[in-house]
Formats: sequence, C-alpha cells, structure tokens
Amino acid sequence: MASSDMKGFFRQKKKLGVSKPKSLKKSPKTKHSASCGSDLVQPPALISHGSLDLKDEYDDKEEVLRQFDMNMAYGPCLGMSRMDRWERANALGLHPPKEVENLLRAGKVNSECLWDGRV
Amino acid sequence: MAAAAAPMEVDTGNGVFQRKQAMYKSLDESFEIQKEMYRGQQYSQIYFARLHLMRTLLYSLLPTWKPHLPICTVLGLEEGKECIIVGTLYKHMKLKPSILDEYSKERSASPLVKPHNFVHSDDYLVLEDESGRVKLRGSLLLPSVYVTGIVVALHGKETGAGDFMVEDILEAGLPHQIELPLNSGEDKYVVFVSGLSVGSSSANPLHFQLFVDHITGHLGDEKEQGIAAHIVQVVIAGNSVEFPRGLLNGQNLGSKDQSRLSEPIKELDILLTQIAAGIPLDIMPGTSDPANFSLPQQPLHKCLFPGSAAYNTFRSCTNPHSFELDNVRFLGTSGQNIEDLARYSDAKSKLEFMERTLRWRHLAPTAPNTLGCYPFTDRDPFFIEKCPHVYFVGNQEKYEASLIKGSDGQVVRLICIPKFAETGTAVVLNLRNLECHALSFGTQFSS
Repeated sequence: MASSDMKGFFRQKKKLGVSKPKSLKKSPKTKHSASCGSDLVQPPALISHGSLDLKDEYDDKEEVLRQFDMNMAYGPCLGMSRMDRWERANALGLHPPKEVENLLRAGKVNSECLWDGRV
Repeated sequence: MAAAAAPMEVDTGNGVFQRKQAMYKSLDESFEIQKEMYRGQQYSQIYFARLHLMRTLLYSLLPTWKPHLPICTVLGLEEGKECIIVGTLYKHMKLKPSILDEYSKERSASPLVKPHNFVHSDDYLVLEDESGRVKLRGSLLLPSVYVTGIVVALHGKETGAGDFMVEDILEAGLPHQIELPLNSGEDKYVVFVSGLSVGSSSANPLHFQLFVDHITGHLGDEKEQGIAAHIVQVVIAGNSVEFPRGLLNGQNLGSKDQSRLSEPIKELDILLTQIAAGIPLDIMPGTSDPANFSLPQQPLHKCLFPGSAAYNTFRSCTNPHSFELDNVRFLGTSGQNIEDLARYSDAKSKLEFMERTLRWRHLAPTAPNTLGCYPFTDRDPFFIEKCPHVYFVGNQEKYEASLIKGSDGQVVRLICIPKFAETGTAVVLNLRNLECHALSFGTQFSS
C-alpha cells in the first residue's frame, strides 16, 4: 500500500472532522463507500484533480449540525432527534445557536444525530 | 356515567352524620408518561436533565454559601487550588451485584445469597459532570450516607494524587413551602393504608373488613361514628394485591387457574367499592400490583375495578403520588425509593432516609442506577419542586412518624405507613395540625 495514498486518506478525514471510518455507515447513502479505504479502486495515478473523491452528501450545513451534536454543553445527542435536543437546550436556558434551529426547520438536512443507526 | 357519591350519611338516634369534605387537587401530571415517546434513548439523557436542573439551582445557592470561592468544572481542577465543583455523585460499591458476576469463571468471595444491604467499608464516592469525574476523599463525606445520583456542590481542592479532598458540602436543601395556617378550622382526617396484599396467605380478610367498616361508620357507637364522619380521604399506598406466584411459571393457564389468578383483584374491588361508596379514595400501584415496573408507575387501569371505578370518588393514581387537600400538599410513594436507599446506604431509621431525600430535593436519587425508571429526555419528574407538608412512604415494617424543619421555616410531617397485611395498622393524619396516630385492628382473643 502506498503510504502517500494513506496520508491523503487521513488528511481528507481530518478536514471533514469525522473520526469514524465511513465504511461503517449503514444508511442507503453509500454510493461512495466503495471508494473508501481501498486504493485499488482509486489508485493515486488516476487522481487528476488532487483530492480523493470521498465526499458524499456531507456538506457545510451537516458540519454545523455535527458540531452541535458533539457539543457536550447541550447533553448527550444519542437517542434524540436534533430538533428535540435543540428544543431541550432552549428550554433549559442554554442558548443554543439559532443557526442550528434555522437549518433544522428548513429541512433537507438529517434530522437525527450523527451516531443514529451507527451505535 | 359515574355515580356520584352522596355525602356519607349514617342514621343515628340524634340525627344524621354528614361526612366532612375537603377540596382535592391532583398534582400527578408530571408523573404521567402517556405523552412520552421512546426513541431509543439511554439513561444519559435523564442524568443530563437532572444535573443541569440541580446545578442551576445549586449555582443560585452558592453566593449565600461561599461567595468568595471560584467555581470549576471537573476538568478545570488545578492542584492545590481551593474551589467549588458541582456534579452528580457516583458511589463505587464492592458488593453491588453485577450481571457480569454470573459469567465469571471463578466463584468470587461475595456469597451467592444476596445480602439485603450492599454497603461495605471499601465503598468510595466519585463526583461526575459532563467534563469528567474525580474521586472524592476526606472524612466529611461518608460513603455510607450517600448514594449514586445525588447532585451536590463540594468545596475543596485537588490533591497531588489527582483526587479531590472535600472540605464542605452543599446539598440542595428543602424547597420552598407555602405556609399554611395551622390549627384553624375543624378536624379533618386522612387515612393512609398500604400493603393490603389481598390474595396472600398472610393477609387476614377480617382485618381489612374491620378497617372498612370502621372508616365507613358501620362500627362503634355515636362517638366513633362521629369521628369516622371526619375522615375526608383514604389513600392506599401500594401493594394492594398479591397474585399467586405459583401460577406464573410460564405455562399456559387453564380456565380454572385463570379464575384463580384474577380472584385477588376481584376481592379487592368488592372491598374498595364499600369504601368508594362513601369516601374519596386514592389508590396507588406498588411493587406487587398489576402496573408497570419502572417508576413512575402508571395508575392501575380502571377495568381492574369494575365496581369501584363507577364512583367519582375513586381515583387511580400514579406512584409517586402528589396532591393537595384543602391546600395541604401531600407527596408520597409506595416505598420503592426508600427500599432502594436502604439497600445502598445506611441510616438509623426509614424516617432518616425520607428526610435525606427531601434535603437532597430528589425523591428517588438511585433511579435509574438501581431503581427502574423511564428514560426521560428533557426532565426529571422526581425532582421535588415545592416542599410538601406531608411526605408519606408505604409498605414499611412499622408505623413511624416525625416532623422535620427546614432552614426557611418549612415544616414537613414524615409518615412511614406499615404493611397492613402484617401489622393490621393504618395511619390517621389530622389536616388541621398535621398530627398523626396509628389505627390498629386485631382479631386475637386472649384465651
């Protein structure tokens, strides 16, 4: 295994801020999971634009929500929908960020926490 | 649809006795779980809700306790720096039964027969908040007094070994109580009974029938009946039936066994109808009753009581149960919270356990650790918001009562209600002055 490819793999993961390997995700959105962890599928020679094609539907909005999930000031995130957790934090006077509420109300984002279905 | 109970009337030579009445208000809403939806959450959620609720409360008490000390989180502790930390207590117990013991290859030193009390001199306390946990040292905090699940504030400093040496402790204390004008008005009595265990071999049906006859005014002379007419409420605090356990061995029941199984509850219904026909009656579920296991236990279903549920005086209540009678605030359980404390800590009497739960401002601190509990996510219904005037616990070994005082002038009557099937004793409380006494029934005739 080419070590430079592994470094590239890890670098990509740090940028996204997710520590759990993507291959464990059970949800049907696994279009790109085949490209994870295996440089046979995507050998370095074929990477023309300089970064690995590992990005799935994970975007900036999801990043904000995941940071909200991980913030321990609002309590554990497992077993609650994100909106319920936001409302609980609001009711307890913790002043959760309004941005998270807006994102959740707008829809088109994952309503469950990032560990949902994985643990 | 419900038959209204007329004020109980007893025909006597002088006239008719009218039963006194009191204004009742149920406060059980926070103990009902019909609206809760289980979404796979674990108990971390209720611990977070409890910690946040009580930490906010303790933070508001700190300025009057030790205003000059800084407040730290557990991770923010610095060695030698005197500070205050607030968190949930966890007690590590050597003898606490663990499911993993069943899988251990060697038989450990602890005996197979479980002791009633799991306290050991090697137990130690740990304080935990969201950031971390720290072991507690110091002679002030006796592990045998505390249990897992209490939220406290501690004054002390971190030692070189990484432990926290405790110098002082602040508990939440008794909550605010609405003052009552005591000793005014007339005598009105509330009768408490628990552990009827109808259907068990140790329960004497004659005792309970005597009890029912006495409070409905069918016993005694005019003076007795006059006193009985002052009873305004009956509260049954759990364990009203005992089902024949031998039938519940996993096999299908034949029709004869099925009718044997339902006999205790039918017998109870007949007896309760006699009470409900004349007096307001509150019945709470207990450990042996057909209700859910985990706290808060939900009200016994009305279909179990076809006779008594027809009366509007019959109220099936949750466990724990909270209500107001003529503005006197009552709070009580069927005993599970105190029994669990007795397993995991030591005290001189059950009354002392009860006083501790009030001073910790939490009805059942060991829930959900060792006491079954619903995994609430956004609230902790066992947190005591307002101080009751009367705090009762059912299914105890004997009748005990005391009066405790709080730092803000709160006064609480504590009552341990004995198991009726074993002692034949009920408890009577006077609403006017919160005095109480035992009411015993016996059928032994000296030979």
